[in-house]
Amino acid sequence: MSAPLRISLLIALSLLILAVCPFMGLTFISPAVLTVPDHPASEVFWSLRVPRTLAAFLAGAGLSLGGMIFQALFRNPLATPFTLGVSSGASFGASVYFWLGGIALIKSGSLGPLFSSLLGAFLSMFLVWSITRSRGGFQTAVMLLAGVVINFFFSSLVLFVQYMSDAHDSLRIMHWLMGSLANLETARLAELAFVTIMGTIFVMSLAPQIDLLTAGEELAASRGVKLKTLKLEIFIVASVVVGTVVSLAGPIGFVGLMVPHACRLMLGWNHRRLTPSVFFVGGAFLSLCDLASRMVLAPAELPIGIVTALLGGPFFLWILFRTNSAGDLF
Amino acid sequence: MTGGNPILEAIDYSFWLDKARILKGISFAVKAGDFLSIVGPNGAGKSTLLKCLLRLHQSGRSSGTLTVAGKDISTYGQKQLAKAISYVPQAGGWIPPFTVRDFAKLSRFPHASTVSGLSPSDEKAVDQALESVGLTDMAKRSLKTMSGGERQKAYLAAALAQGANIMLLDEPAASLDPKHASELAALLDKLNKESGLTVIMVTHDLNHPLKTGGLALVLAGGERRYFGPASGLLGGGVLEEAFQHEFLYLDHPYGQGRLVVAR
Repeated sequence: MSAPLRISLLIALSLLILAVCPFMGLTFISPAVLTVPDHPASEVFWSLRVPRTLAAFLAGAGLSLGGMIFQALFRNPLATPFTLGVSSGASFGASVYFWLGGIALIKSGSLGPLFSSLLGAFLSMFLVWSITRSRGGFQTAVMLLAGVVINFFFSSLVLFVQYMSDAHDSLRIMHWLMGSLANLETARLAELAFVTIMGTIFVMSLAPQIDLLTAGEELAASRGVKLKTLKLEIFIVASVVVGTVVSLAGPIGFVGLMVPHACRLMLGWNHRRLTPSVFFVGGAFLSLCDLASRMVLAPAELPIGIVTALLGGPFFLWILFRTNSAGDLF
Repeated sequence: MTGGNPILEAIDYSFWLDKARILKGISFAVKAGDFLSIVGPNGAGKSTLLKCLLRLHQSGRSSGTLTVAGKDISTYGQKQLAKAISYVPQAGGWIPPFTVRDFAKLSRFPHASTVSGLSPSDEKAVDQALESVGLTDMAKRSLKTMSGGERQKAYLAAALAQGANIMLLDEPAASLDPKHASELAALLDKLNKESGLTVIMVTHDLNHPLKTGGLALVLAGGERRYFGPASGLLGGGVLEEAFQHEFLYLDHPYGQGRLVVAR
């Protein structure tokens, strides 16, 4: 099967999953109901399930995109969208907000955790960026180490805040850390869509340079890539996209690590082909995980962060063992 | 290119990494179509010099000038420099996860437009590059499944696809068996003589410059110890001084000049 055909099939399958997910759930909503005016199920469909599925899709797409470009930048299969500490920065911001019981500066419902976690994400980005710059140039190894240190630093601060909080706040922090799409407001969808789609388009424009970067930094520079600019662009676009997703949905793990690998095994390393595939497959995968998180313990909800690893792990292993050795992992 | 103007020139060029002065006042000039072999002991600054010519160093500072086609290389944009100089890196380490042809296509980046990607003329340049190293039949092979010798040819093809007049190579034959090493050397000689490609190669094979003629630059401890015709390596203790080692000079059994052997 040729690569373009495989990509088309993957995208078609992903769109099919996106279309089917809103109909599924605790109760199945028949498509026929949607044509009946003012039917209660129709209301559930349009105002609850569609926005939620879309949110899951966009979050999955954004996290996968972040993972893909970080893995390419570091040429490391274990790089995740969270490698540079964006997520722990965001988690720290959110936990401080919950700890203070939402009495801090912003007091407008769900915007509180959003703003505080975005602030945390940008703080960690800024720290990683300034540490990297202080060593001269923009060296990948320095950036990676700075990211790991900042990640540990903020993770410890999250634990500290949790330790200081009372049982109630501590539980809220823990729930946030497990990730959830349950409380995402429809109004935030537009922002999420804007950031992930713009990020994807930007990455598409960088694709030939990212290909060269995966071939080696020196080689890329000798072929005309401005390394410093490219690394900075990758760093910023990944951090902004991932920071936004995490601020809205919590640090949902595993998607950003595994989806890019799965796509690479199926499609190779051409990032012009890979980027749209990673976007759609990541989106579809998280939509499915969200569906599972709503259905497994229904009417209760399983935190989606648990589902992604439980569902994604075996799926990834299946792909890993099915692909012949020509599919390159790292 | 008019007559005698150098296509690439270093004038009293020095380079520092942190506090260490790696290159000390290097001067040399290469004309279009020349073949320059850079030799010297490990740590002499050979690779550093190549990296300076390609502006690959992300830190460090320099003094003196490096010019390409009469223009200081610091005035070149990265893409512009890539159109003037192509590069074959040292073999070994990470193998890019691409097929031979896809890898060569990446070298067209400085020529391609961001929006529409590669044009038919880019594709043609890639095909020609593969043909000139004899890899047309292996275009779809993954670099990872090739032997070291074949892979090095693929790297050469990728550098050719870059479409530059000057090619820099960093010990291209370092990890190759004698057969592949001499094939690669013959290929480079051919590209130099027939296509007029200017070749600047770091090498440990002292006999290659003696056989091909051309120019030789001897570096040791970051200093220039010799620059001139390759035949100049034969006498005057140039190699002995640079390598701090004794050499034997033998007549070639078939009368093809002389050979150098480390004692």
